[in-house]
Amino acid sequence: MDAGHTITFAVIASHFLVGISRAMILFVVSSGLSFVLGVLRVPNVAHGSLYMLGAFVAHTIATYFGGGSVAFWFALIASPFVVALIGLVAERALFCHLYEREHLMLLLFTFALMLIFGDLVKIFWGADYRSLMAPDLLRGAVTIFSSPIPRYNLFLLIAGPIIAVALYLFSNNTLIGKIARAAAVDREMVGAIGINVSWVFAFAFVLGCFLAGLGGALVSPTVSVTLGMDHDIIIETFLIVTIGGLGNMWGAMVGSLIFGITQSFGVLFLPQFAIVFPYIAVVLVLMWRPRGILKSVW
Amino acid sequence: MATVDEKRKRILGYAAVVLFLLFLPILVPRFYIYILTVIFVTSILAMSLNLVAGHGGLFQFHHGVFYGIGAYTAALILAKTSLPPLVGFIAGPIAAAAAGLIIGLFCVRLSRLYFGMLQISLGSLVWAITFRWYDFTGGDDGIHGIPIPALLSSINRSYYFILTILVIVMILLYLILKSPFGGILQAIRDNPDRCAAVGINVRRHQLVAIVIATFFAGVAGVMFVVVEGTVFPDLMFWVLSLEIFIMCLLGGWFTFSGPILGAAIIVSLRTFAGVYTEYWTLILGIILILLIFFLPEGVMGFITEKMKGKEPEALRSTEKEVDQ
Amino acid sequence: MLTVKNLEKSFDDFKAVNRANLDVAEGEIVAVIGPNGAGKTTLFNLITGMLKPNGGTIQFKGEEISSLPPHRICKKGVARSFQVANIFHRLSAFRNVQVSVLSQQNKSMTLFHPAKRIAVQETYQILENVGLLDKSHKIAGSLSHGDQRILEIAIALGNKPSLLILDEPTAGMSPEETATTIALVKNLADAQGLTILFCEHDMDVVFGVANRIMVMEHGRTITQGKPDEVKKNQEVQRAYLGEE
Repeated sequence: MDAGHTITFAVIASHFLVGISRAMILFVVSSGLSFVLGVLRVPNVAHGSLYMLGAFVAHTIATYFGGGSVAFWFALIASPFVVALIGLVAERALFCHLYEREHLMLLLFTFALMLIFGDLVKIFWGADYRSLMAPDLLRGAVTIFSSPIPRYNLFLLIAGPIIAVALYLFSNNTLIGKIARAAAVDREMVGAIGINVSWVFAFAFVLGCFLAGLGGALVSPTVSVTLGMDHDIIIETFLIVTIGGLGNMWGAMVGSLIFGITQSFGVLFLPQFAIVFPYIAVVLVLMWRPRGILKSVW
Repeated sequence: MATVDEKRKRILGYAAVVLFLLFLPILVPRFYIYILTVIFVTSILAMSLNLVAGHGGLFQFHHGVFYGIGAYTAALILAKTSLPPLVGFIAGPIAAAAAGLIIGLFCVRLSRLYFGMLQISLGSLVWAITFRWYDFTGGDDGIHGIPIPALLSSINRSYYFILTILVIVMILLYLILKSPFGGILQAIRDNPDRCAAVGINVRRHQLVAIVIATFFAGVAGVMFVVVEGTVFPDLMFWVLSLEIFIMCLLGGWFTFSGPILGAAIIVSLRTFAGVYTEYWTLILGIILILLIFFLPEGVMGFITEKMKGKEPEALRSTEKEVDQ
Repeated sequence: MLTVKNLEKSFDDFKAVNRANLDVAEGEIVAVIGPNGAGKTTLFNLITGMLKPNGGTIQFKGEEISSLPPHRICKKGVARSFQVANIFHRLSAFRNVQVSVLSQQNKSMTLFHPAKRIAVQETYQILENVGLLDKSHKIAGSLSHGDQRILEIAIALGNKPSLLILDEPTAGMSPEETATTIALVKNLADAQGLTILFCEHDMDVVFGVANRIMVMEHGRTITQGKPDEVKKNQEVQRAYLGEE
């Protein structure tokens, strides 16, 4: 970034918007993590791998269908479902047998999944860098506040809040959403009224996987799709849900905004240490509120 | 309770192993000596983690950071200053313990999972700074060609040196676990509320345990520098931290020497699997899943149970857990 | 010795303890009684600092303790046992009691000195006093329910408390175990001069042991007084004894 020399209002505004648009992707991924945390009380370490999987699957689908606009939109929709399906298989085959066990075992299981997914991606897709073209509609940039903003980022700025509202409506207005939320607060209660808690957990886990996959698919046109993208995102989303309040969806939004914005301003002011800024923000937030900004569900 | 006879047998057993290890460099090729040295370093690291994670019951999720801080401190002093090497060797563990104290102060205020998450956050901050601060830490390149004192420069010499350190660390950790502090740490693991109710300052004990554990992690970090002559940010990456966690689990949480076994298994598997396949993490993942489903008490825990002829779920005294 | 005034604690909208009052004088055995959910355990949790009150005061030996953490309150001389056997299941009975003895002697931070040589006499003495000496090397989790409850009290005794709080000490015990426990509690009070505060469902135990009784209902203190005064109290009969 050579913009560091002339920091004008336009530069700040564009960094701000890009930061928020990046926060939207973080939100989609971390809301999934937060949802799993809220209901299962397990930090799913494999969440980043599912995100990476989402990006690779989206790339493969889009390429298979010729790489055009229609292929992109199809990939964007289909990829999360593929990831959710993979999650469902892992959950029903192995994970669900551990619900009665210590929490640490659940956590370590997700770590094992992360290790396995990481290498499976390497086996199927190799270690090359891949990139996915955004559809024609979202290519190029528009000028806002006299500075260019990529159209795709604008798309993210719109898509993020829509997904947030959809998630909110889903968890508040559908039966399964309400049950999952109740299970997050008091799982004995949910079990006591005759609901199969194991399936509630399965649902939460799969929804988490879906959101991870969706985040991966959404991010794929803006970054190079490659191995290792799981490692960065998982720590970022961990921190986001921690500062937002474990299991709180709006907390994930607040955390993502803090993370995205501090990161983009880090790039503006001190590019070399850009990745340090969000971490400092996290530490400051946790010194101020050790249990996160918004109320944790448990 | 262990009888005097059993205890003597155990001490003799350990002595025999050490004696065997002393003569090993004469018998086997250098490559194996190198692998053993790496196992020793990793054992120190895993044992230090097990003090807080296995015996203390804390979710110390980012122990690797303190390993890295120990290694970097020693490396920077050796490579960039003209101070005597001994200063670096001493400063490494102290820096790690200081970082442990600072990060611990934030973490012990929180309950288990939050403790782990916050530690990952703070640890990642340290990692991120190390990763980017090219002028000071060498950034993602790390620091290479660190001048190791001539006394330790050959692999055989560092083998003996690190074996000695490992034995000292084991003795110290054993004494700590057998001390009132160690006993109370385990009591806190089993029932923190009850400990508070009998007047124990739970957080302070946990904090002291963290400082001790991070000090020894720093020792392991310095030993890493002695063996490899290099440092890089991956030492502080959270994946390594979870790998150490697996070593403790694999060897057996609630056992004294389990982490050594875990470290030995993981390091040798990685080395020898690395010869045949590049998909080492896949293997590690599958091992971990097998472990979770079939051996939750770890290999050492399993062996101990079998030797005692008890059901794995049987309740055991900490006396025995620590002793075996 | 202990003075609780207008103590309040609510969980969300539910007032578990609502203007509770309690006085315990030195050397007394005081019982707290009341129907299930009257707030007895919550009251004990407030006194020992495991919960923080929303209002009111708790004074111990003239000092306000309601804002102190549990371990500090314990160091002031208040020890307690729990309703559900809250012991260290994986440790031997000896080690269970040793934990509190070490804490009382401020040796919990001692490093590099074998624990098996510290506080041994004191620990065995306590185990002997409660009658668990022959079981001192058994794993706590493997003891019978009654012995676990006794061990619970033994742990509290390790703190050399001046005020001992017992939460339903005989719950779930057989008649013989109950008799043993009552004898033990009486002995502690008479021989060692301990002040004891306890709550209990078994009215025979309450009226057989207590010097004074405090009656709670819905978190409120209905009355405090000598056993026969309490027996005569109309409100108590309506609220509590009538249910029997």
